[in-house]
Amino acid sequence: MTTQPSVKTVTVTVDGVSLSVPEGTLLVEAAKQIQEDIPVYCYHTKLGPAGLCRICLVEIEKMPKLQIACNTVVTDGMVVHTASDKTMEGRRAVLEFLLLNHPLDCPICDKGGECDLQDFSMAYGQGASRKVEAKVAKPKAVDLGPTIVLDEERCIVCQRCVRFDDIITQERSLVVKDRGHRDIIATSTEEPYVSDFSGNVTELCPVGALTSKTYRFKSRPWDLNRTKTTCTQCSVGCQLYVDERYGDVLRTMSVAEDETSDGWLCDRGRYNIGFYNDPQRIASPLLRRGDEWEQIGWDDAVALWARQIREARDTTGPESIGVIGGGRLLNEEAFLLQHLFRSLGVENLDWRAGRQTVATPVFSGTYEELEAAQTILVFGVPPSQTAPVMDLRIRKAVVQRGARLVTVGPHSSGSSVTETHVRRVADIPSDAFDAERIAVVFDGIDATPMRDLHERFAELKRAGKSLIGFIPGEQPNARGAEAMGMLPRDGGRGTREVFSAAKDGGIRVLSLFGVNPALRFADGALATAALERTPFIVLSELFLTDTARFASLVLPAHGPFERDGHVLDMTGRVQRLFAAHAAPGGALSDGEMLVALADALDIEIPSPSALTARARAPEKRAMPRGEIRAAAPGGEAALRVIIRSDIFAGGGTVYHDERLEELRPRPIATLHPRTAQALGVAAGDLVDVIAGDRALRGLIVRVADAASEGTIRVVDGLPGAPANVLFDGEEVQVTKLEPAAPLAAAGAVAG
Amino acid sequence: MLRAVIAGFVAILAGFRTTFGYLFVKKPTIAYPSIKKQHAPRFHGLHELRRYADGKERCIGCELCQIACPANAIVVVGAENTPADRRSPGERYAARYEIDELRCIFCGLCEEACPTDAIVLTPRFEMSDYRRGSFVYAKDRLLVPPQGGVGSAPDERPNGIPADLGAVAQQKSTVDIATGYDATWYGRALKTERRGLAG
Repeated sequence: MTTQPSVKTVTVTVDGVSLSVPEGTLLVEAAKQIQEDIPVYCYHTKLGPAGLCRICLVEIEKMPKLQIACNTVVTDGMVVHTASDKTMEGRRAVLEFLLLNHPLDCPICDKGGECDLQDFSMAYGQGASRKVEAKVAKPKAVDLGPTIVLDEERCIVCQRCVRFDDIITQERSLVVKDRGHRDIIATSTEEPYVSDFSGNVTELCPVGALTSKTYRFKSRPWDLNRTKTTCTQCSVGCQLYVDERYGDVLRTMSVAEDETSDGWLCDRGRYNIGFYNDPQRIASPLLRRGDEWEQIGWDDAVALWARQIREARDTTGPESIGVIGGGRLLNEEAFLLQHLFRSLGVENLDWRAGRQTVATPVFSGTYEELEAAQTILVFGVPPSQTAPVMDLRIRKAVVQRGARLVTVGPHSSGSSVTETHVRRVADIPSDAFDAERIAVVFDGIDATPMRDLHERFAELKRAGKSLIGFIPGEQPNARGAEAMGMLPRDGGRGTREVFSAAKDGGIRVLSLFGVNPALRFADGALATAALERTPFIVLSELFLTDTARFASLVLPAHGPFERDGHVLDMTGRVQRLFAAHAAPGGALSDGEMLVALADALDIEIPSPSALTARARAPEKRAMPRGEIRAAAPGGEAALRVIIRSDIFAGGGTVYHDERLEELRPRPIATLHPRTAQALGVAAGDLVDVIAGDRALRGLIVRVADAASEGTIRVVDGLPGAPANVLFDGEEVQVTKLEPAAPLAAAGAVAG
Repeated sequence: MLRAVIAGFVAILAGFRTTFGYLFVKKPTIAYPSIKKQHAPRFHGLHELRRYADGKERCIGCELCQIACPANAIVVVGAENTPADRRSPGERYAARYEIDELRCIFCGLCEEACPTDAIVLTPRFEMSDYRRGSFVYAKDRLLVPPQGGVGSAPDERPNGIPADLGAVAQQKSTVDIATGYDATWYGRALKTERRGLAG
């Protein structure tokens, strides 16, 4: 496995071919060099050998018996036969054992057609069974958790899922229960299997034992149209395969050789695919007529938009026009957006629409470098909920490579590995900076710790240490938007200033692209007041979100898998998107809308090839350092707000994916037991969180020992319970609701 | 000269020998549709989805017929049985099952591929209609109606004709009882409706 250059090589002969491989290489890996695929079930390149299934038997000269290739280290002069008669006989016997109690389910099995057990039975099996006794019957369709169904009969106990849960996610909830033919996969606690990476076990499973609830019996693998594209649910930029059939996105699969994702996907990226054909998706431009939406054509919509922009520019000047968006657009579209509005003299351009204020780190690094870091400093919101696949890298660095994880701020890492958690920058252990390779993971929200550590970082850099930064933000292409120029320049206003101006009636036309400030902007009260006062708001969206309540014109846009172009991931790598799904007929991509608008406003735009070239080669320029927040005042006894992220929060795609119902976070307020006792509330109570004249109503209390004393933790981005009315670190009061309120709260969540 | 005339006449007679010979052979014309021709026992005609004796569908929606079909005429989409709505034994059933009979080449490979003997080809061949779309047969026309029994496998058909078809003809037709039958289950339902011949 180790491939360090200093290791000496050994020569091994596999099926008559002489190979030179580094010392310590496993035979199964060595054989891949000559495309001699040795069959494996329990072995997996990223999980290592386990020696459980015995299917990889090979004949090695001078050894009395067949050996398993997955756990045999090659030695110099070893002569191996992978297809001899003796080998084939061994594999046939192993398969006969594996198939003893395996049901003949293939016609209805979701794995049928891409199943290793089928493939190897065809290649090495004996065809007919000699067994005359009845097969052992076990429960089928066992509900393992909110995402996974287990068929106990089909399981061959290779333990890939158990080892994934142990080695890769470090969560250790899956185990093998019982022994002999009765052994089954189960969770150690008998609780449901809940993990943000649960979908990966269905891909690892070499048979059809673990299957996704969302894909169950939907299709057979040979029916699917496969497209390789980039996931744009977060800023990691994982490659994935999108499998579609008859216009429905049925499943997504990871790309094993992808350098970005390391071959894993999180459940948000894997399962949030059910919204594309949702009946609530906007199918044509909608114009507000009082409280009603009127469907209008694209020509009328664009003409109206252009007229409003022209009037605003001619009467109150380009300062009265604002544009927010870019973090969900392609690079091409973000560039076109700023080009178009800058041509009109508008400088109020910004991608920021949530709590994140910066997307481009000062020192960029790759994910491989993150994995190799010796100290990983995490500031603010942990990446486990904002960039889950990146968090797997951190876990790998900590557990497999011995890195030290230090989390700074109110949040602990939320992942399952050992960490040092400190609240303030000053408390960071000084020896954390002694390492040669340091990685900084910063949530991009409050840049105060970055300012405090600025001198320290400069010192480290001068000392020649490797210092790399990552900003796993809220919007997938925020870094691309920054690189394409979706930032205020030359006296333009950023989102916060635009909202402040709009609150006083200073903004006439506001164009929003794929953003939801009413639910997500850091200052919810300001955003709501600003949106209410702005006379004409254009919103490009997939659904009527919380922000659409304030919009005058809503334009139906394309969803993530319907886009074709380029984005930047958080490390600054250009990632390619290919359209895998046909958008509904009434929708236009943001780029097409902008082209139509440019046409209506007589603005010259770059040619498509020039746009693509621009999108592929992002400009390097000085980026802003992010917003510095004033430290929240208050004594030690105050109840302070911690705003938590959740991968399944959001008012758009997740909210309109009915299959994710069970995974969506509930409006929960988490309290420490002593804090709850002091407030006189118990788990399950409904409470209001009051901060001055603002209130977050109808939260369900959860009591957890892991919560910090004197804090109340709420989830960001829930329609019906928008946590952005509160501020991070703000002092609040909690009042209890009357027991009759559950229905009202449930209605608010559902509505 | 005369010899040439005689030789020519003989040649004409020889030429018409086959033609005139048929004056004395029994005519092959059948008074279709009053009388229908006896098919070969394994004649490949319109498809039928069979049931089990307890009324459950045999089809499990496995799509093997779809992948076996050389003409790409079949569409199957599976779905999961629920305890409240159990269509077939086991976990999976066909939510959608369609055959485009215009595209079908009646090769019978679907029948061979089927692991549960659900899809069979019957001797029904009269599928004329006015619109192309009408030739896409969905489950409503392919599946044997619950009152129609289980459907019949080719091996069980006397003289190649499904047993149930003979019964239909006996009740509702004046034509040759041994060989007459309705073209489709759908046709029978229509006829029953129009003539008020419901049993």
